[in-house]
Parts: sequence; C-alpha cells; structure tokens
Amino acid sequence: MTNPQEFDPTEVLYKELKKSGLDFFVSVPCKLLGDLIDQLREDDSISYTPVSREEEGIGILAGAYLSGKKPAIVMQNSGFGNSVNAICSLLNYYQIPVVFIISHRGSPGEPIEAQKVMGNAIYKLMEAVDVDILEVKEASGVANIPKCIEKAHASSRSLGILLPFSYWGNGQ
Amino acid sequence: MDSELRQKLDRGDVMKRYQAIQEIMKVVTDELVVCNIGHPSQELFQISDRPRNFYMLGSMGLAPSIGLGLAMSTKENVIVINGDAAATMNLGYMATVGYNRPPNLVDIIIDNQANGSTGFQPSFTANRLKLQDVGRACGIENVYLIEQQTKIAPTLAEALHDQTGSSLIIVKTDVGLEAPLDVIPMGPGQIRDRFMAELT
Repeated sequence: MTNPQEFDPTEVLYKELKKSGLDFFVSVPCKLLGDLIDQLREDDSISYTPVSREEEGIGILAGAYLSGKKPAIVMQNSGFGNSVNAICSLLNYYQIPVVFIISHRGSPGEPIEAQKVMGNAIYKLMEAVDVDILEVKEASGVANIPKCIEKAHASSRSLGILLPFSYWGNGQ
Repeated sequence: MDSELRQKLDRGDVMKRYQAIQEIMKVVTDELVVCNIGHPSQELFQISDRPRNFYMLGSMGLAPSIGLGLAMSTKENVIVINGDAAATMNLGYMATVGYNRPPNLVDIIIDNQANGSTGFQPSFTANRLKLQDVGRACGIENVYLIEQQTKIAPTLAEALHDQTGSSLIIVKTDVGLEAPLDVIPMGPGQIRDRFMAELT
C-alpha cells in the first residue's frame, strides 16, 4: 500500500503503537485500518480479538487493564457513538485509560456523503466525554504517539488518536 | 417461558437471585468475580464482600466483557455474575466468548425473566428468548441450564474444573429481593484499586 507521500501508513503507525507498550487490542472492522488489524491478528506478542461492537470492546479492554495490560481499540469514528456510556460510566468513572485508534471517516477526502454527519460530530463528542484527542494528519505526526500514550496512562485518561483521510493518502 | 417453570414460580418453588448468589459464593475461593450493576452487586456485597469482587456501578451489559478481558489476560479463574436482561443488552459478547473460548471463564446468567433493578419489567426470556441456545450457537462449549438451587454449587465446581473451553451457566430464578439492600459503600476508585492489588 503505497501512496503519494511514499510511506506505508500502517507500518509507521504500528511501529509507534508497539513502541508505546500497548499489548492488548480489540478491533471493529474498517477498510482504512484493515492492514493494521491483519498485523494485530498475526502478532503473537500481544493479545487480540475482534469484537461485535465498540461498547463490548471497551468492556473487554477494561478487564484487560485491571490485570495490568495496556489496552487499545481499533475502530471507525462512527463507533465512538456506540461507546459513549461505556466511556463515561466505566472508563472515566473507574479511571481506566484506553487508547482509541480511530479512522476518521467523514474527514476531508471522504467519498461517502453519509459518513460526514458523524465525521463532523466526532470532535465535540470526544470533548463531551473527556477523551483527549491526538489528530495525526500526516506521517510525521505519528512521532507524537508514544509520549501522548505515556501521558494518558500516567493521568489515567483515555486518548483518541484520530487518523483522517489525509493520513492514509489519496490512494484509499 | 415454559409452563413447568411458570407453575414452579407460581408455587414459590423457585429460589430468588439472593439464594443463587449464596450458592455461587459457597464454591468461590480465590476466583475473580465480576458482578452486574444494581441489585446483583448489592446482594453480592451483602453476602460476601472480598477484594476479588469487581462491582459494576455503570455500563449495564458489560460484566461478561470485563470478565472476558480478564480471562484473556490472566491465568486466574474468572466468574461473571450477570443477569438475563443485561446479557440481552450486549448479546454480541457471546460471539466474542465463543471466538476466544478461554477455559478460565465461567459466565453465570441469573435469569429472573425481568429487569429487576428498574421495576421488574418483564425481559425477553419471559417471552421466547433462550439464552442457552444463543450460547451454544455462538460456540460456547459448556452450557448448563439450572432450575434447582442444589445444582448450582456442583455445576459451578464442574465448570471451574473443565478446561475444554468457556462455560455458560443459566440459573432460572424468581424475581424479587430477599431483603432490603444498601448501596455499596465504596467508590469506583476503591473498588478498582483493591481489585487490581490482588492481581499485581
């Protein structure tokens, strides 16, 4: 998967996520994140499972955190709407930090009109439920991931890494 | 609901959830226990409070998901005490349990055919839903259906011993509370910290 920026968006992202110490992943399918999900499934050094829905995944990650894991969910921004109660009454209330790795459908470059509604709502939604945002618009931005995750864990706050179309390149 | 169970319920021959949790806790030694929000957690707290209990104070439906995350990341045995309406609210979890099949996970659904904590509205199992069939269809190996109080402890002991895959135990109970319940006098931070201290 090459793109005009001549980097493999999955490879550079995966490298930074591993560097950050994340070791327990769940995912809900996404075309943009498909290669990342394939890598997670094949990585024997981490725990991974697909989940039926984002909210369920958050429950699983909370359990993993309680036993000392550093958990993350791979999903589309539309799934953030499915997660709101679990974020507030489980993650935030018990101070359980989870990293959300989110493909930002509806961001500039989105070919499907219907995706733009949740695409526009995502910032306010994340702010409303007190999840910090790291927006990675291009390859160089991934370098910020490890320190943001470290800060999230240190403060027991969840972090959303938003990956818009500009990150994935026009080839998508 | 089948007519035989209806008759037993009408005669008052069926235990309440309180007795079911008492039976479960007779078997529990060092297992991790994740308990559904509301009355179930309050009853568990009253029957047997211990640091290895994780009481849910929100996110109805996610008890078995938290249990699955624990079972996938520790070697400890994990018991989930859930309700039928909470299981229905997050039915997809059974597909994920069936996909991963951790042998250290025993998911217990106390099925009182009602949403007890919110005013005893009838739940889907009061109509046609059979959660045991959903569990089997999702690939969960060991599925048990219990209607007698005396069978709870031996069945749970067997499920904990079994290493072939995850277990699902459905316990049919009557609706209602055994005794007035108090709110759990612990905040989320305290519940979390003492639970995590057991695991690290």
